[in-house]
Amino acid sequence: MTLADGAPVADLPDRPDPAASRHLRDLRRQVRVWRRGRADTRLVDAISDAYIAVFSTAMLTSMAVSVVVNVRTVAATCTSLACTDGRAALPWLTGLGLVAGTLGAAGLLGPMLVSPAVGSWLLPAPVDRRALLRPRLAGTAAVAFAVAAVVAVAVAALSGFPGSSVLAYGGCVGAACLLAVGVAAAAQARRLRRLGLVTWTLTALVWAGLVALTADAVPAPASAPPTGWAPVLGIVAVLAVGALALAYAGLPRLARDQLAPGGALLPGLSGALAGLDFALVQDVLVARRWRARSTVRPVRGRGVGGAALVWRELARVRRDPRPVVLLAAALVVPYLGGSLGLGRADLLVTAGTGFLAGIGLFSSLRVLSRTPSLVRCLPLTAAAVRSACVSVPAAVVLVWALCAEPGLQAAAGLTPADAAPLAVAVGVTAVTAVVRFVTGRPPDYRLPLVTSPMGAVPTSLYVSAARGFDALLLGSAPLLLAPSATGAAISLALDGIVLAVLLNRA
Amino acid sequence: MPRTPPTPPRLRVRGLTRRFGDVEVVTGLDLDLPAGGAVALVGRNGAGKSTVLRCVAAADVPTAGTVELDGEAVDERSPRTRRDMAVVMDDLDFFPDLSVVEHLDLFARAHGVPDAEAVVDAVLHEVRLVPQSAQLPGTLSSGQRRRLALASAFVRPRRLLVLDEPEARLDRPGLAWLVDRLQREKADGLGILLASHDAGLVEAVADSVVDLDRLP
Repeated sequence: MTLADGAPVADLPDRPDPAASRHLRDLRRQVRVWRRGRADTRLVDAISDAYIAVFSTAMLTSMAVSVVVNVRTVAATCTSLACTDGRAALPWLTGLGLVAGTLGAAGLLGPMLVSPAVGSWLLPAPVDRRALLRPRLAGTAAVAFAVAAVVAVAVAALSGFPGSSVLAYGGCVGAACLLAVGVAAAAQARRLRRLGLVTWTLTALVWAGLVALTADAVPAPASAPPTGWAPVLGIVAVLAVGALALAYAGLPRLARDQLAPGGALLPGLSGALAGLDFALVQDVLVARRWRARSTVRPVRGRGVGGAALVWRELARVRRDPRPVVLLAAALVVPYLGGSLGLGRADLLVTAGTGFLAGIGLFSSLRVLSRTPSLVRCLPLTAAAVRSACVSVPAAVVLVWALCAEPGLQAAAGLTPADAAPLAVAVGVTAVTAVVRFVTGRPPDYRLPLVTSPMGAVPTSLYVSAARGFDALLLGSAPLLLAPSATGAAISLALDGIVLAVLLNRA
Repeated sequence: MPRTPPTPPRLRVRGLTRRFGDVEVVTGLDLDLPAGGAVALVGRNGAGKSTVLRCVAAADVPTAGTVELDGEAVDERSPRTRRDMAVVMDDLDFFPDLSVVEHLDLFARAHGVPDAEAVVDAVLHEVRLVPQSAQLPGTLSSGQRRRLALASAFVRPRRLLVLDEPEARLDRPGLAWLVDRLQREKADGLGILLASHDAGLVEAVADSVVDLDRLP
């Protein structure tokens, strides 16, 4: 498409127009001046905040160092074959997992994106798009490197790596994630859609590694390459720079339809995270996924009243079996806990895995919990509606827990008579935790507020972050203290009370 | 000749007051709505129309006053209230993974509608959403979402319709359909309480009008 004089309408310059760059710099400077003019923090406030930040960092660092020293002492006593295999495989699996996570997040958000305001006001203007997006690319790459490196260093430190290779390994994983961001951004500019396949392949590799470790099928690789991590770091860093250069070259090609969706998603996600409302994060992602799917093959229901809701849950599982697949894949965790000799802690780990992997199954309960208007449309009590929505997902999680029973038995050294009721209790605890998580209410800013360095914070904000995990600990405590049929009975009784309150509350 | 007790109005509101902090949005509203009648609430933005509707639908708790449906106090937790009162307000959300037709099918079956499929098909046709029946609600236009919300009220049994600006985002044919549908609902003996800014809709449907700007 061209204008009447033959000039192209879309601006896809291979070389940035210097005048346009200057123009954009002027715009940025102007925005900065406006923001400074409206700053509402005095210098003394900033110094006070900085003091608190430095003090908190020092305190948290000393706690972290203490934990690392303790864990390394414990790790030094790890001599069983399964345990040493696990430690050897850990850096590889962690690295692959972090790269897969980076690619997944990059695919979700773009990785190149612009805020809705920039999309509305600056993208339509004839500004140099490369200059506009350059800071975003640099920021995304820096965040990816920093997060991955910090996690990798933490894992390496906790798993007893020699001090000299901890930083090299962290740098290596950080550079690999940098490479992932560069590749994702370059692919975005060229509209290549195979990135999802790469992400899933990496995820499948991590899962296969865990399965192999659990089954002791193959000997674990050495915990570091024969050459050490430093040469690997050099190679990955060179590749990462190349990928980022490719991404930088592709910035002017990025069109509005590629940049806007990630930016539209970000405010919802950051708003939910600001309220520590992780269920809302899940809502935003689920809504986006279904919007992308657009249409489905309609399936008429069966039954009447509550039975219609139960039948719809079955149809929902058939329509989108991914949550069931995720839960099935997570079955490796209880067995891995057994291989690593977690002991009775495997009961807690298994219940936690069922909780986190099972959240996706309870999507209709979540929708009904956050939308009272939908419940008003149904001629049943709220408890009946919630119970109908919970029935099918709860049955799936219970079956999953029963499938984990041999793993629990091996890990915690249980008798067959105790293992079955404990597996049921673990399943019910996982269900209770999910129900607590999805039926939670957002932070209530009408409640009394607590002064904090972040500003006034409602007390319920802190509860939001722990939602689900509190029920998990409550149900798991009797199992950890008394891993027997008696402990299972107490756990089931506690879970029953919590479930009754959650399903019946107004 | 024995005297039959007087039939209570379908909806009776007495002394409805709703206060938010120091601000009294609605003060002492009385309202009677007979079966087969329609009352329209009108007034400027912020006059309290939606607040009244929310109190009537028991989605909000009045500071003072009572709301009765067929002589019984409305209670949002009661299945009877939910069965008898069909409410369409702006806060209706949808399941992200259920298509248009599946939403209506679910509502109809949950209400025990015999021959739910036929009822759903008829209403889908009426609201002109047949081409979108397989679509997920996140991909509908705002007008289509509005029609789906209205359709959800018509696929289920009801004795009272509570509608908050039902004309919002409807196109001209949609508005004509709405007028026709509400007149038929009245003829079938249903009560209708609606808040609206559309003078044409109010004139065509309402038997009486409550102007919230003119209340004391």
